[in-house]
Amino acid sequence: MLWAVATLTFFAVHLVPGDPAQAILGGPGSQASQEALDRVRADYGLDQPLAVQYLSMLVRLVSGDLGDSYALKTPVADLIAGQLLGTLTLALLALVVAWAFAIGLALWSTSAGRIGRAIAAGIELTAAALPHFWLATVLIAVFSTSLGWLPPVANGSPSGLVLPVLTLAVPLAGFLAQLMREQMLEALEQPFTTSALARGETAAGIRLRHALRHAALPAVNLSGWAIGYLISGAVVVETIFARPGLGRTLLRATELRDVPVVIGVVLVVALVYVTMTVLTDLVSRAVDPRISLEERA
Amino acid sequence: MTSRRTIRILPVAALAAASALVLAGCTPAGDSPEASGDPVTGGTLVYASGDGEPSCLDPHVGGNYPQALIAGQFLESLVSLDASGEVIPWLATGWTSSDDGLTWDFTLRDDVEFTDGTPFDAEAVKVNVEHLKNPDTQSSTGYLALGKVDSVEVVSDTVARFHLSAPDSALLESLTQPWNAIESPAGIARGMEENCLAPIGTGPFIVDEWVPQDHVSLVRNDDFTTGPADRAHDGAAYLDGIEWRFIPDSASRYAALQAGEVDIIDNAQPDTLDQAEQSGELVEIDAPRPGASNRIELNSGQAPFDDVRVREAFIRAADVNDGIDALFFGTAERSSSVLSSVEPLAYSDDSLFVTDLGEANALLDEAGWSERDDRGIRVKDGVPLTVRFPVSTNQSIPAEQSLFEQIQATAKEAGFDVQLEPLDLSGWYGALFTNEYEAVSAPYTKVGPDVLRILYHSDSITPAPSGYFANLAQLNDPELDALLTDAASESDPDARAALYEQAQQIILGGFYALPLYDQQNHFLHSPKLQGVRAMPTVSTPTFADAWLAD
Repeated sequence: MLWAVATLTFFAVHLVPGDPAQAILGGPGSQASQEALDRVRADYGLDQPLAVQYLSMLVRLVSGDLGDSYALKTPVADLIAGQLLGTLTLALLALVVAWAFAIGLALWSTSAGRIGRAIAAGIELTAAALPHFWLATVLIAVFSTSLGWLPPVANGSPSGLVLPVLTLAVPLAGFLAQLMREQMLEALEQPFTTSALARGETAAGIRLRHALRHAALPAVNLSGWAIGYLISGAVVVETIFARPGLGRTLLRATELRDVPVVIGVVLVVALVYVTMTVLTDLVSRAVDPRISLEERA
Repeated sequence: MTSRRTIRILPVAALAAASALVLAGCTPAGDSPEASGDPVTGGTLVYASGDGEPSCLDPHVGGNYPQALIAGQFLESLVSLDASGEVIPWLATGWTSSDDGLTWDFTLRDDVEFTDGTPFDAEAVKVNVEHLKNPDTQSSTGYLALGKVDSVEVVSDTVARFHLSAPDSALLESLTQPWNAIESPAGIARGMEENCLAPIGTGPFIVDEWVPQDHVSLVRNDDFTTGPADRAHDGAAYLDGIEWRFIPDSASRYAALQAGEVDIIDNAQPDTLDQAEQSGELVEIDAPRPGASNRIELNSGQAPFDDVRVREAFIRAADVNDGIDALFFGTAERSSSVLSSVEPLAYSDDSLFVTDLGEANALLDEAGWSERDDRGIRVKDGVPLTVRFPVSTNQSIPAEQSLFEQIQATAKEAGFDVQLEPLDLSGWYGALFTNEYEAVSAPYTKVGPDVLRILYHSDSITPAPSGYFANLAQLNDPELDALLTDAASESDPDARAALYEQAQQIILGGFYALPLYDQQNHFLHSPKLQGVRAMPTVSTPTFADAWLAD
């Protein structure tokens, strides 16, 4: 899978017109001389046929070497190592917050009446549809510029994390809550609900101990996808809140046609995605023992 | 509403003017109206840059504006410019040139050390020029500026002799630029990777740490004794240091300034400047960049703009003034020169750029573009009158991109089909290499009128697909070439000015370019920040004399 990702990315970057040599030499406001351009092309192998560039990249990747950044001249692995933590912190916090919102909303809406459910459905749908850049701008306008409670840009302190995490978490919470509410309602109509009630279980207890467990399963499975969604959202969020991270690295590298960095970041994101999928699989087994039983049988 | 506000402010303004008159005798004249009170030592300034984060802090490598912005805080040049555009001493105290203009002797300060302890001397100057000219350095801007410098000879510790291949009337102007600043030879000797992370200079601050995509920490150089001759105070900077942050999003940058998270922002956009002006709580520095103005170049190297009538028709049809008024909130002034208004030798002619749709239509009819298709686009021999216009979204701010859309709409009335294509930087360069454009806007920052040679001399048309060429109008006129070559080696200031005026008359009169406005360069800062000014060289702010008031 990683090979497919690297190949796709390599050709996608090269399909877009553009000259990395020009970008390597400084970009806006600097006009590179012919000698300098030729030299850079030779240094980075950009004058080689595409197939040769592709093969030499594969050989490099197989040996575990992500190569050097065209623009920064430093090893891609170091660059990514320096930015990975920021993005993972952001994405994982957003995932946790989104889960908390989603569980809260699902528990409330399933206990509320018809009107409550309609309101919850409206909130979920709106939240899920919010574009990150718009939400970020509104959050900054309200909580920084008007109220002055939170810093508008990341400043190294935990308070600087609040708005970026909320920006990522709110739309995701909308998705998760929608899914969980439907599953819980379905669960509450199942025969086990009636038998639990007959055993003297309270309505709240049923929702917490039985229906939630039932509803959490598809949502847990969705969390693997959610990490991918959050990391792509990080491109926007890291730029607006001026946070260091992989999203910004990817954006900048794409603009500069910094091919080794683009491929490196995409590979790492793919790796995180695979890891998350394996993890969610394990979590699903813990939540629902039937999965492993079925497999053993 | 507006008039009532003006009236209320008037007495305050009068009072301020009166006190300014009283104070004029004892305080240095500053740009900032709040420049009052005694300087305060200490504190860390937070600077928020909207420019791209440099990939190397050494401005010798590559050489773009983001590098110049930060390098000016820790590197110094041999000479500088004062507010009137005169060349003044900096690390060099004096200079003389031979009668043939081929040798220049620079006398250097003898009491200066780089912040790593390496002495600043003629040998250091020689090493820097060699570093800039060495292809391994990958210098472009600084390299071009030293195009006529063959070598530097160490006459003594304090005299560096430049040997030139041809007289260069732009040499001093070139040497004022941050891309030609002087670095510690020992620092350069560490190799590019290390030198890129923390170049070593003689400036007011020292690079302490660079956290990529977050910030660069600069700390005060306690032994700082230099600075350009027009510096406001002697000795080390008042600030303890600068935290140089990168905040790419314009709205977040402004929000951070309002929230007090940062003290100064660059690349303030027209809408932000308008908000700031209405709030009245922030101070603006408007420092247009030198060199060329922002202009739309018309590709005269191929049809349809190889016909001067079609170029003039486009310029007459495009309504620029109304667009600027509507989109820039009065923050940008219309230019009718291809040079920046800060260039003393800029020549302009408003009469050439008056919008006149009737005239545009007449010119196009005359040029044979008399038929129109069902969209209203003019056609000649079955070919529509198409203007491909690649737009660099990295170099054109949103207001400028909207202006291009307005130009597109007004040019359509005359029958032009302007095809705007927003591209990222690499894609934009790609469109230029393959000559797939009829119009393009490209900024060019350089000190002095020699920028005209780079932009309009036929030598700057390099055949595609070899790489970037600066002569995007593809202007090829032997008479102009001769004027620009002569001007570049003319040592008599009056004769030089006359040559550049003739050259600009040819460029403007031939309708090769549609000037828009100066290259916009606005800063906003908190009133707490005082004593800051933009350098008269490339308009980057300097904090050598700045302080944060309590």
